[in-house]
Amino acid sequence: MGQLFAVEIIYRGVFQKTLAKNITRGIVLAAHNEGKLGISFGRYGDAPERNGIPAKSFAIIANDEQTLEAGMAQYEPKHVDLTVVLDDTLCKGAESWAWYGLQPVHHALKSGHTLIVVSLQDAPTLLKTIHRREEPYKLGILKGVTSFSGMWVYKDDHTDVRVLGAIAKALPELVSLKSVEKFITEKLKNSLKVTSTQTAYQRFTAVDVKPGKGNPEELFNFELLPWENMRNGVSIPGQPQGGPYADPVTKQTGGFRPARNELFKKYSTRTQRPVVNFSTCTKCTLCWLDCPDASFDVTPDGTYDANLEACCGCGICEAVCPVKDCVTMVNESLFHDNDSQWVRYKKDPHTYLKWLEKTIEMAEPDEKRSHGFRYRGQYQEQLPEALEVARKG
Amino acid sequence: MATTTLPVEVEKKIHEQEALITGAEAIAIACKLANVDVVTAYPIRPYDTVMQYISQLVADGEMDCEYIVAEGEHSQFEIVKHASICGARVFCGSSGVGWMYAMEALTVSPALRVPMVCMVGNRALDDPGAFGVEHNDALAVRDLGWLLTWVDNAQEALDTALIAYRVAEDRRMLVPLAISCDGAFLTHSQALVRIPAAEQVKQFLPRYDRGDLLLHPDNVISVAPQANEDWVMEIRRQNYAVTERACSVIREVYADFGRTFGRKYGNPFFEEYLTEDAEVVLLGMGTLSTRVRVAVRKLREQGKKVGFVRLRWFRPFAGPEIAKCLERFKAVGVIDRDFSFGSPNLSGVVATEVRSAMYTGASTRPPVLGFICGLGGREVTVHDVEKMTDIVFEAAKGVTQPLTQWIGLRG
Amino acid sequence: MCHATHDLKAGKENIMSTTFVDEKPTQNLEAFKGVKKVPHEEYYTSGHRTCQACESAQIMKLMAKAAGPRTIVLGATGCMYVANTSYYSTPWGVPWMHTQLGSAGSGALGVAAALRVQMRKGAMKDEPINVIAFCGDGGGADMGLNAISATLTHPDYNLLILMYDNESYANTDIQISGTSPYGANTSFSTPGKVKRIMHHRWKKNVAPLMIAGHPTCKYVGTISTSYPLQAMNNIRKALSIGGPTFIHCLNPCPKGWDFDPVLSFELGELAVNTGIWPLYEVENGNLHLYGKTKDIANGRFKRLPVRDYLLKQGRFAHFVEDDIEYFQSKIDEMWTKWLVPGVIPLQKEVEADDPPAR
Repeated sequence: MGQLFAVEIIYRGVFQKTLAKNITRGIVLAAHNEGKLGISFGRYGDAPERNGIPAKSFAIIANDEQTLEAGMAQYEPKHVDLTVVLDDTLCKGAESWAWYGLQPVHHALKSGHTLIVVSLQDAPTLLKTIHRREEPYKLGILKGVTSFSGMWVYKDDHTDVRVLGAIAKALPELVSLKSVEKFITEKLKNSLKVTSTQTAYQRFTAVDVKPGKGNPEELFNFELLPWENMRNGVSIPGQPQGGPYADPVTKQTGGFRPARNELFKKYSTRTQRPVVNFSTCTKCTLCWLDCPDASFDVTPDGTYDANLEACCGCGICEAVCPVKDCVTMVNESLFHDNDSQWVRYKKDPHTYLKWLEKTIEMAEPDEKRSHGFRYRGQYQEQLPEALEVARKG
Repeated sequence: MATTTLPVEVEKKIHEQEALITGAEAIAIACKLANVDVVTAYPIRPYDTVMQYISQLVADGEMDCEYIVAEGEHSQFEIVKHASICGARVFCGSSGVGWMYAMEALTVSPALRVPMVCMVGNRALDDPGAFGVEHNDALAVRDLGWLLTWVDNAQEALDTALIAYRVAEDRRMLVPLAISCDGAFLTHSQALVRIPAAEQVKQFLPRYDRGDLLLHPDNVISVAPQANEDWVMEIRRQNYAVTERACSVIREVYADFGRTFGRKYGNPFFEEYLTEDAEVVLLGMGTLSTRVRVAVRKLREQGKKVGFVRLRWFRPFAGPEIAKCLERFKAVGVIDRDFSFGSPNLSGVVATEVRSAMYTGASTRPPVLGFICGLGGREVTVHDVEKMTDIVFEAAKGVTQPLTQWIGLRG
Repeated sequence: MCHATHDLKAGKENIMSTTFVDEKPTQNLEAFKGVKKVPHEEYYTSGHRTCQACESAQIMKLMAKAAGPRTIVLGATGCMYVANTSYYSTPWGVPWMHTQLGSAGSGALGVAAALRVQMRKGAMKDEPINVIAFCGDGGGADMGLNAISATLTHPDYNLLILMYDNESYANTDIQISGTSPYGANTSFSTPGKVKRIMHHRWKKNVAPLMIAGHPTCKYVGTISTSYPLQAMNNIRKALSIGGPTFIHCLNPCPKGWDFDPVLSFELGELAVNTGIWPLYEVENGNLHLYGKTKDIANGRFKRLPVRDYLLKQGRFAHFVEDDIEYFQSKIDEMWTKWLVPGVIPLQKEVEADDPPAR
């Protein structure tokens, strides 16, 4: 039996669907240049894919057919030789819509193997969010702006080939740079992309992560019931009704908090989260009323607090809020908890508003934030900046 | 569920009525006696006469139900499916390709634990369009979790309809049930039937109660959410558990039916005719039984010791019992009023099931011959039965016979 | 509705007195007077797994809020089934049940019938309970109209069929449905080397189909999630008026239409302001346009060019100028040529349709 390789790409559903597919297909076709065989597939449980959900795509490579069979007919490989995370906010973990519980990004990564993250942040910052584990591994960062596009229009900013370059560096026994170059030249017929993959290869480095280093957060999990304990008639209990709750300072109860599903939280679905200025809120109700996820708790003050168990970070609240900077969407990777902003505000308004000001400064300006298609020609405008990052590595 | 018994003297006092009615009419009357809540109709021969009778009962104020004429069988069965989940006792039915048009609704009902009771007026499947009896329509759901029973006279049709509601709505069951009545011979022919008194039926048939599976604002549940590979196998296992219980529940209900109405059916699953001393037997379902019994009597006059086993319940299939019953004969001939093209030995559905039951359940295995007969409503003649019997006797002597033969076929 | 009695000599009063339509009272839900009056309770809360900025989830939330606790909801197969209510994880605070793709109408009818008869027989507490079947454009506009048509002919059952329209089979990864707009890129109509426009049929005009075809239906209307208060109040009206009713809601779909989720709300408004999605209701046979649509109709608001709407969506990114002009011309036709502008596509004199080369 020859050697079997498995590569896992963790990406944002729909936003990076084409990108992930290009990468896993690229791995198979590039490795094929070395006479290797392989398959490429997405995690079936992620389909039909929802935008923003953590999704997975895989490439399984072997030197011969019989070895390859060992990696076939599975929803996802149980152990992988390499994991690539295409959006650093995913470092908080991956819970696909068909998956019960939160998977750390390295949950299938073999001991001592490499985790590649596409990010503009450095390793120490990322390790604040990547969960700790017992086995050591390597963390490699591919410098780059998160590449998001949509279902039909693809933003070809070379992220695909840059990841292939990094993979060739991290796991040369899987595929060599030469084979990747050959694939790009012959199949993609794009010499500029060859340069991008070479630069990525040269610049890519990985640091060792010792056992136990990283985010100590307890992983949210769900136990599957035995058939005897499952309700009959394919029925399950519905959601209870919510109710008022207490002000942390005055202890007076009021407002309204809807029931929050115990078995599915949207912690890992977000790429950004709303931060709220409770002091300028006019209580117009729009963020609350227009939120498709019913994620706003109505505070006893009558303001609206984004409940991060339910918020998936779509940004509608920011779009409909009539007050400037009252609701602002900020990149999720800046946050390390899911605590109530309103509680923090109530306990110490001054500190909260200072923090809010700083946080909003760090937020990407709305027109630069890219979660897919906004107008025809937008991707072309964004390309030079992305390619510049690619050039510099 | 508590079983009810009437003291004999009370039973005597209650006066049964007698009426000259068809099998379809008998089931309509059973629906009235069962105080059915929602009925959905759609025309297709031969089952639809039952819906004519029910509409008349409603028009005459004899029956209080929502009588809905749907725009197709798919809707017809979807309406009662939903009504049943909301706590209503329902009745529905169809025939031939109409039943097949409803197939999606028929498929989802067992997992949803919907005790819908249906009448199938057995009819040949198109094409060509043909009104005559064939059993492939009802048999199409045999693997889906439905209970399937075949009756051979109007009295049994009425009794079985009452039994059907008790069985299907039993909290241990809650699955759909179809009563098959052969087109024309049963659906369109009138016979004298004894109609039990409403009070008796009321005692035999408590109100349908699906407990915490009821879809109602007082019971906030979500029914049939999307499930992935983490759940589906467990859900299937739950329906398997229902089929494990089916035989004992059916036996209970028949016993109680006998006690309540004084009409006893003996073994619920199959009926034996002149089998005690028989060397060979024929086995079949539905109204062909009448022709077979006539032939059996005639053959016995000629000294040929043949018997007949009429299968009443096809699902659940009482495998071990049937095997035990058949193992004692020298040879068995199964008459299928259906086909299962490409099946093992190219036999009909019933023959294939009997053989598989015998393989595991019988200590000795006499040859089991399959006969395809009476398709598309063609009469099963006494002559056909004599012919089949002769073939079975030959097999009993050890003369090898084809495992499947078409009887009553030109050419 | 009344019918002649068997007594041929019966006088008019006698005829009028015998009616077959036995109307059951509804909950008679008053309109919410302003956003501040909208109740806090949620009957569709977290637990669903829809896309970021899913406007179809939004209308489900608004619908449940508008209907309140004494409600039964049926969810026909679609992305709002698959993404919405997954096993042992549900957002529903009212009883909810999956209904087959083609059964929204028959499902609602079955529930309404079961409630009615059990209340009549004293087997269930007698009270008005809302029955809502929620179906998508795939089920509602295709699949034999989801058995909606027959159901709208049953005046004695109180129920609402709400068809959310994200203009594709979104559940199976975006394929053409009966309501997909002309030229849209879908998994079944991706532009190719030879054919630019693979989908060249026009969107089904579903609400007017229900209006024209079902004279006894008391309420048919269109709504948009970008006008949430109005949407909720129309839903409450449809639930209160009695008999079977139908509402068609347009729901921008960031995944299938391919746009940044932050634009969901804006695209809902643009659909109305470009005249592509007219807002109206037909109540007891009376048509009234509302919102910006009303202003468009009586010339107080000039329709925005469809280009503003189309070019914000990746599914139209392959359009050339001819396609945009053609799309505009068809929308202009709705407002200038139709006998009932924006609603009923009957025309005095029809000009030959001239779509651009594909």
